[in-house]
Amino acid sequence: MSYSEARPETPTDLESKSGLPTEVELAILQARTRRHFLRTLGGGLGTLFLGTLASKLAPFAKAAGAETAALDFSRDARTPLSPLPPQFPAKVRRVIYLHMAGAPSQLELFEHKPDLKRFDGQDCPASFLAGKRFAFISGVPKLLGSQYPFHQAGQSGQWISDRLPYIEKQVDDICFIKSMRTEQFNHAPAQLLVHTGNPRLGYPSFGSWVVYGLGTENQNLPGFIVLLSGGKTPDGGKQLWSSGFLPSVYQGVQCRSHGEPVLYLDNPRGVSRSLRRSMLDTIDEINQQTYAAFGNPETVTRIAQYEMAFRMQLDATDAMDIRKEPDSVHARYGSKPGVASFANNCLVARRLAERGVRFIQLYHWGWDSHGADAKEALNLGFNDRCREVDQPTAALLSELKSHGLLEDTLVVWGGEFGRTPMRENRGGQEMKYVGRDHNPGAFTIWLAGGGIKSGISYGETDDMGYEIVKDPVEIRDFHATMLYLLGFDHHKLNYRFQGLEQKLTSVKPARVVAEILT
Amino acid sequence: MNVLSRISDQSSGSTITAPNRGGIFTWFRLGFVMLAPILVVTTLVAFLPPDGNERAEWAQFIGRFHPLLVHFPIALFMLVPILEIVGQSARFEYLRLSVNFVLAMASLGATTAAILGWCLGRSGGYSGSLITQHMWGGLSVSIICWVCWLLRTQLRELGVSYAIALALGVGLLAWTGYRGGQLSLGRNHLTEHMPNGLRDLLGVEDSSAALASSADPNTFYGARIQPIFNARCINCHGTDKHKGNLRLDGYRALMRGGKDGTVIQTGNIQGSDLFRRITLPVGHDDFMPKGKPPLTADEVKTIELWIGAGASDKIAITAIKDAPSGSAVPTEVKFEEIDYTAVAKLRSAIAPAVAELQKQFPNILDYYSRGAADLRLNASILGSKFGDRDLEAFAPIAEHIIVADFSRTAITDHSATAIAAMKRLRVLRLMDTRVTDATFLHLETLNQLESLDVYGTPITPAVLPAIAKLTKLSHFYAGQTGIAPGKSVPYNLVGKLVF
Repeated sequence: MSYSEARPETPTDLESKSGLPTEVELAILQARTRRHFLRTLGGGLGTLFLGTLASKLAPFAKAAGAETAALDFSRDARTPLSPLPPQFPAKVRRVIYLHMAGAPSQLELFEHKPDLKRFDGQDCPASFLAGKRFAFISGVPKLLGSQYPFHQAGQSGQWISDRLPYIEKQVDDICFIKSMRTEQFNHAPAQLLVHTGNPRLGYPSFGSWVVYGLGTENQNLPGFIVLLSGGKTPDGGKQLWSSGFLPSVYQGVQCRSHGEPVLYLDNPRGVSRSLRRSMLDTIDEINQQTYAAFGNPETVTRIAQYEMAFRMQLDATDAMDIRKEPDSVHARYGSKPGVASFANNCLVARRLAERGVRFIQLYHWGWDSHGADAKEALNLGFNDRCREVDQPTAALLSELKSHGLLEDTLVVWGGEFGRTPMRENRGGQEMKYVGRDHNPGAFTIWLAGGGIKSGISYGETDDMGYEIVKDPVEIRDFHATMLYLLGFDHHKLNYRFQGLEQKLTSVKPARVVAEILT
Repeated sequence: MNVLSRISDQSSGSTITAPNRGGIFTWFRLGFVMLAPILVVTTLVAFLPPDGNERAEWAQFIGRFHPLLVHFPIALFMLVPILEIVGQSARFEYLRLSVNFVLAMASLGATTAAILGWCLGRSGGYSGSLITQHMWGGLSVSIICWVCWLLRTQLRELGVSYAIALALGVGLLAWTGYRGGQLSLGRNHLTEHMPNGLRDLLGVEDSSAALASSADPNTFYGARIQPIFNARCINCHGTDKHKGNLRLDGYRALMRGGKDGTVIQTGNIQGSDLFRRITLPVGHDDFMPKGKPPLTADEVKTIELWIGAGASDKIAITAIKDAPSGSAVPTEVKFEEIDYTAVAKLRSAIAPAVAELQKQFPNILDYYSRGAADLRLNASILGSKFGDRDLEAFAPIAEHIIVADFSRTAITDHSATAIAAMKRLRVLRLMDTRVTDATFLHLETLNQLESLDVYGTPITPAVLPAIAKLTKLSHFYAGQTGIAPGKSVPYNLVGKLVF
């Protein structure tokens, strides 16, 4: 048939559509001999043979050690968020990720470097600058010692600065990774890398992967909730909680910390819940017809979203309503109902964790301490940020602990990269305020909760806190470790897209940092 | 037969005239002159075989040309059957004129290569079955080469024997070449990087796993020392090469030492020759690994501590405290493969009941993991909609539940027996429920319990003696209850209460 399709249509071709072969086709058919048949047969058999080999040769194309049976993540299309057991017995059931957008300075918080203090104000050695790219530093900057005193805290005796007096009390429950490394030195791509495993747009966020892999137990709330504070959306934008190529039902749901938690969730004035119900039923019917006609799975996703919104009307409003908490709890967090703050969000995070939300992502903006103005100066704005997050973070940790939730919750605190031991000198000039530039080569994040060794530090940087000298942890290692805690082999939590088994850790080999696990 | 008759035709000179026809006698004599070096090398191989010791520098120097030179006679000899077969065609008949010359060159080359090979083997510290086989193979090839040449030029009626000798030569050459490859590139050099699919297809086993050390990975030696040797030393001091008669592919071989005696003096770091050699400056005559980058500081430190601690293969992996944290040998997490048929078998007894309950109470009951038959029950998300009556439905599978969360549900003391029936519970959460002390008097069956959460319940210190009997308990969350922090608790519970 392909032969006749290749030619312009002629009357004989039209005839052929009646089902009878045309004269030309007949002639071709009659010209075929047994020799033709045998010749094609040889090729055909060869192809068949290769076909049987294909399954065996398939590992050719895959990385060694990463194959065998894929995990089944399929669910009923009407309940795409239904829970699935983890691949392995998991230490962690839910994640609370506190992202400090803008990259807090590890040298003012967790990295005690007395030698850097000694060289404060001296010219930066040339070896620090050779072959490096900075966002703003130019010429020869000066070294900048920590702006705040350090001391050892807790029974574990970990070093911490005086900026975090509340978190300090929880230090024995914390595991610091001081040798985090990233490959991006600008905020948006670095945040994308931390949250999606890829510095480019279009990849699913960590939370989306987790909800895709594990679903969520409470069907009346989204499985992946995002809360913002600090006045601005992080530079990476809403991509940071997007579902990328995963079905859109797995994307993070951004909730507001005051007013209605989810915009347009409440019924419009004059519409009762029962009227809303009957309206949804009609819409569902129409959507079902559309699905029957076109078979687009996103139609089913849409039906599921309508249903979830209806269920959420009661539960989300209740979960987000921190007015229901006693004053003693508000005093602990420093939270005030009705304003948008990190403290309120931490309290909401605890309430969501109790209600079975799988992944709770908080962003607090404003840590980009370059020193270009008072808001981003290490001695001014940075202090405010510390005050804003210190008490609520510590309250969240201690409440999770006393409620027994910390043993199967993973709390993560950190930014997207670190800051330089050099003082920023934008345009080669000494700036009015004190600040540091971006340093992708080393930064600190901390973890607490299920399966994590507490009261330890992992990895080391040099005496200036500039580069890693021991046990570097790449972003993909960090991701693989968290997925391991959630019960997954990071190779196996994958989704076929564009001909590749896509995964959070991408294609480079990632290592589970077993040294920090219990 | 056609080939052979043609060959004899040719040697009878009916169609082709060899240019050196007049010098038959010279050729013949030359042939026997060639025999002398072959006999010499045969004697050498027979009476002075490689024994693993390193000898004269000059012999090693010459010997190193063996791998370079050996490919010429191989190519020349392999060319002969090609010339003979292609020469059958009338168009390429002239090719056969060169066969005698090619064979002569091949014989000469093979013999020279054999002599160089002996120099390398005898002086380069080789020994073992591989080198013996390779040497005798090489020697046989040069003899066969010589025989072929003799047959081809002189013995005109022996066509069949020439063909047999040629075929034998090609076969032997392939075998010897393979052995040589194993010597220089490793025993599994052909299959080492074979794609897994092809490996399965051909039924080749992955020998890299077999190569791994059989030392006990729970000992310091097995986990930390042998891996260093495997990575850095066994290419020259392993099963195939044992330079200096030293092998480092196992603990016993290591302690036996080499030609200069033992290399490890138990507990005596400075007296251990192995340690002396790995710490010499690069370029020193005795430095090891010769010609390779030196061992890293961490590797040297690990070996030093191990020798200092008695150099035993029995001491535990954790016995040496300040050993470098093994950046050379990082801790790896193993991902187990799930055997789904075994899992289905394990679950078969409870699967129908579980499926029924999952339908009745969606989203709150599931298996603990994809590979487990244990269950996790999270009633907390139903809140006050879940009560004592509902919990009764879970009785048939009670013993399979290992994690149960009843936080904020409406269950009361009436559920005590239902909870007590969950004998394998590891985690029990009763946060913000109305259960009282009465429940806890029934829970002594839960001897697997590790974590108990009663935050916000009206229980009193009266339950503490009962709870102290739960021997595996490590966390007891007792905030916002009648139990106040700072009060004395039974000895078993000290340090386990969390407020």
